[in-house]
Amino acid sequence: MKIWTSEHIFSHPWETVTQAVWRKYPNPHNPAVVGTDVVERQVVNGVLHTHRLISSRWGLPSWAQTILGADRVCYGYEHSEVNPEEKTMTMRTRNLTFSSTVSMDERMVYSPDPTDCEKTILRQETIITVKGVPLTSYMEDYLLNSISTNSFKVEELMSTYKRSTTEIFSHTKRSFGEITESALRSVDDISLVAMKSVDEISDAAKKSIDDLSCAAKKGIDSFTQPAGSMPRI
Amino acid sequence: MNSVGEECIELKQTYDSCFNKWFADKFLKGLAEEDKDCSNIFTAYQSCVKKALKSQNISLAEVEKDVLGTSEENQPPNSS
Repeated sequence: MKIWTSEHIFSHPWETVTQAVWRKYPNPHNPAVVGTDVVERQVVNGVLHTHRLISSRWGLPSWAQTILGADRVCYGYEHSEVNPEEKTMTMRTRNLTFSSTVSMDERMVYSPDPTDCEKTILRQETIITVKGVPLTSYMEDYLLNSISTNSFKVEELMSTYKRSTTEIFSHTKRSFGEITESALRSVDDISLVAMKSVDEISDAAKKSIDDLSCAAKKGIDSFTQPAGSMPRI
Repeated sequence: MNSVGEECIELKQTYDSCFNKWFADKFLKGLAEEDKDCSNIFTAYQSCVKKALKSQNISLAEVEKDVLGTSEENQPPNSS
């Protein structure tokens, strides 16, 4: 299991940021998301509850496709709550695809900065667990790292919420940088372990080859014994 | 932005515009409990999405189930 957490402050009030969040996709920094659909939405006791289906195409490399399955469109399910009185927006997204192998659980909470009401704090936590396939730890690191390979171009958006939306986009870019660093450290660890294993395998193989050489030699020696000792056919 | 069903894209875009306006002008200001402005277009959009989910065999009930840690978790291949 891998957990990644981060905190980011947007220089815009909570009302502006929450509106920008609904307009987050399409996002040039995360072109993997190809679709969003509202499957349920209602206001209960003044709180807006929304359930959305998020469609993504990750561009899995062939080795990951072999382990997880073909690189088809993947679906995630997002449940969010917006409370305008308490000024909180919480979002929780989980994967639907590959759910017997991979669990990706992302939680985000947007709330006003207690020290400055013109700013908004985002607290984010992503948990990835991979089970039941080879290289689970490597896969977890790869999945965390894979979202950091998106385009990082910052583009000006022609909308009223241009600045806050851009900030949400560039926050994503910075967060991905942190994930990449952690993933790289994990990959280094894995390389060390792999090298050790290769050394151990080489030793074992060498031993087996030595044993085989001895046995072969013994066999050849017995074959070249005088003809009298050969079995009658 | 696309929809899970290609035939729903136009409905989605109309609904999203309506919702964004309601959210900013009414909901955040505490002026509306329900999104009555967009209810008609939402109903049409919803029905399109549910049809698309069914035709693509996407089951949303699975998301409420815990799979990892239960007997339905993918088992590692047997080493033999």
